[in-house]
Amino acid sequence: MIKVKRLNGKEFVVNSDLILYVEETPDTVITLTTGQKIVVAETVDEIIDKVVDFKSKPIMYIRKMEGKEV
Amino acid sequence: MDISTIVGLLLGLVFIVGGILSSGELKAYIDIPSLIITLGGTIASTLASFPMEDFLKTFKVIKKAFSYEEISPDEVIQEIISLANVARKEGLLSLEEYAEKLEDEFLQKGIMLVVDGTDPELVRNIMETELVFLEERHAEGQSIFETMATYAPAFGMIGTLIGLINMLRQLDDPSSIGPNMSVALVTTFYGSMLANVIFLPLAQKLKIRSKSEILVKELMVEGLLSIQAGENPRIIEEKLKTFIPPEMRKDYRKQVEKEGV
Repeated sequence: MIKVKRLNGKEFVVNSDLILYVEETPDTVITLTTGQKIVVAETVDEIIDKVVDFKSKPIMYIRKMEGKEV
Repeated sequence: MDISTIVGLLLGLVFIVGGILSSGELKAYIDIPSLIITLGGTIASTLASFPMEDFLKTFKVIKKAFSYEEISPDEVIQEIISLANVARKEGLLSLEEYAEKLEDEFLQKGIMLVVDGTDPELVRNIMETELVFLEERHAEGQSIFETMATYAPAFGMIGTLIGLINMLRQLDDPSSIGPNMSVALVTTFYGSMLANVIFLPLAQKLKIRSKSEILVKELMVEGLLSIQAGENPRIIEEKLKTFIPPEMRKDYRKQVEKEGV
């Protein structure tokens, strides 16, 4: 799940597992596998970063539990 | 200004009067009491069938059948394509200032919704609900004329019955039957004429107007949602062109580019 902003600045959360593709038109449009389109204020790169951050969280927790450095 | 309404109504009258003159005289068709029964009766019954506000609105509706600013689908498509171009170049938020210049309130409202970042589903929902109620309001105006068209021939009948009853009460002179009958039948003539020359054509005209207005608005909804989805202006053009008949389709992109130069 990633936090994104609508054009009017309202924040909401998107299930990043459902993202089919992200386009810059130049507004960023996220298309979900459900066919829904969401227009957000972030750029494509920001969204990719957010997804990467989100996906890496479980690995970070495991590493912490094992007492290793992240 | 809608020429076809005026020409149609005038031609109808001209042909009827012409037909009368070619085989008789106009004087036989003018009978004030008959006119009072049909026209007065029709108006009275319509007044009884509708709430006062709706009835008073009739005058506004009549005006609409005669003078009507046609928004052609062409212009709307062109406008949407230029909006799409702006959105592609400067982003959806830049549409806000363009929206302020637009004359069409419906399109303006839609763009405001898009700019506010409303969900596309919700935008479609809001716009379509508005369309449904627009159609309903239009249907109300049409139904007044349709009601008048049903009452007018009925009152014509009533007038004829009144004439016949009066005639039969004093049937002393057999030679007066003919002329009296003809006066009685004038009412039926008025009734049918009012219904078919005025009320039904007006109702039909309003119906067609309403249909074309709704088509244009549906086109706007589709165009707006495409802009929001960030579709290519060229694709949007092709998509919107499917709404209108082939002979009206033009190459808008070239036109827009020319204007841009």
